[in-house]
Amino acid sequence: MNSISSDVIRGYNDTIILFLLLQHPSYGYEISKQIKTLTEEKYIIKETTLYSAFTRMEKNGYIESFSSNKDGSGKRRTYYRITEAGRQYYKDKCAEWNLTKEVIENFILKEDNYGSNQELS
Amino acid sequence: MEAIRNYLETMFANLPNTPEVLRAKNELWQMMEDKYNELIADGKSDNEAVGTVIAEFGNLDEISEDLGIRNVVSGTQDITRRQVTMEEVKKYLHESSNYAFKISLGVFLCISSPIGAILSEAASFSSLVGLFFLMAFVATAVILFVHSSIRIHRWDFLKQELCTIDFATTNYVNDQKERYNPTYALLMTVGIVLCVISFVPAAIIDELDISFFGFDTDDMAGVLLFVFVATGVFMIVLSYNINNTYTTILKLNNASTVSGNYVSSQHPETKYISPAAASIMSVYWQTVTCIYLIWSFLTFNWHYTWIIWPIAGIISGVLNSAFKKN
Repeated sequence: MNSISSDVIRGYNDTIILFLLLQHPSYGYEISKQIKTLTEEKYIIKETTLYSAFTRMEKNGYIESFSSNKDGSGKRRTYYRITEAGRQYYKDKCAEWNLTKEVIENFILKEDNYGSNQELS
Repeated sequence: MEAIRNYLETMFANLPNTPEVLRAKNELWQMMEDKYNELIADGKSDNEAVGTVIAEFGNLDEISEDLGIRNVVSGTQDITRRQVTMEEVKKYLHESSNYAFKISLGVFLCISSPIGAILSEAASFSSLVGLFFLMAFVATAVILFVHSSIRIHRWDFLKQELCTIDFATTNYVNDQKERYNPTYALLMTVGIVLCVISFVPAAIIDELDISFFGFDTDDMAGVLLFVFVATGVFMIVLSYNINNTYTTILKLNNASTVSGNYVSSQHPETKYISPAAASIMSVYWQTVTCIYLIWSFLTFNWHYTWIIWPIAGIISGVLNSAFKKN
């Protein structure tokens, strides 16, 4: 299996994180675990990448952070929740991705057209 | 877990000590700790868990832009500091305690040097015998001073060069210091009490007019006074020097970087409101000593010039609280 190129995915880390925050407020490790599970371990986000995305989006007002120990483990963690601006940004990113996909799709050979059953991931 | 902590601290050691950096470190630590705990709960070995966490940590370059530390991460600063290893630190702690003991013993001998003279005079030996005892004590003390000073000389770089120690070493030294603390407190207290009450046995003997093995009561009182003071000062000098050894090591790191935070948050250094106040306080005790000696030698009223010390102590407390920055 090819590993994913971090250059390509970089522009969509925000989309991934915002998608997870749309469901409920969450904290660093929970988000990285959900990404791992949802992508069937094809994409494992680095801690520094995740933190960098948090600070950037917080600065831009897409997410807010707060401290809580609500998961019952007694440990205080920094949680993040999505803001209204964040929801709008997420919608824009989704639209952008659909367009990108549409454009790039034009240049991708169908599997049976290049003679091998190499898996695309 | 300890390995992960060390890894993270090492990665951050040379970054500036700003709230953003500390927050980043803290957040990353939370995530690493969570991941480690879950891996362990999933039945992974400690080695595997540590390996996975460190492999998936990423690169500080990625967050440098957010923290405004780009030029620091790329390593243009703080490369001139000398890294002091755990082995060196352990060796230094050992040799320095040794040094502290020899110096204190030297001081003890100097203070108690008149004892031999007093006793031999009381036993009505020739005054040469007394002089011999006195010289022997002082000479031994000088040998101790010179020898131990030369031995400790090779560690001067700790004070002269910019050095740095890693997180594990800091933890180790801090631990040792904590463990030494009760001994330090005890030695200090007993030492000070001995000095303060040094005249008490002399006064009692004098009052009761007891005679010891045919010695004159005045001589005996003098001997006891010297023994008390010498023992007390020995305890104070020894415990102070050993404690100082730990502090020297703990202060090595650059206070403006994260590594400087290892300890300074627990033992903040005294800060004064102005440079003038700081310079006054830095020469305070030397000045008091000078006044004491000048006054005492000019008037020879040793029996009441000591009053300077408790008064100076109170004034020092007042000045400190007035000048100290919160």
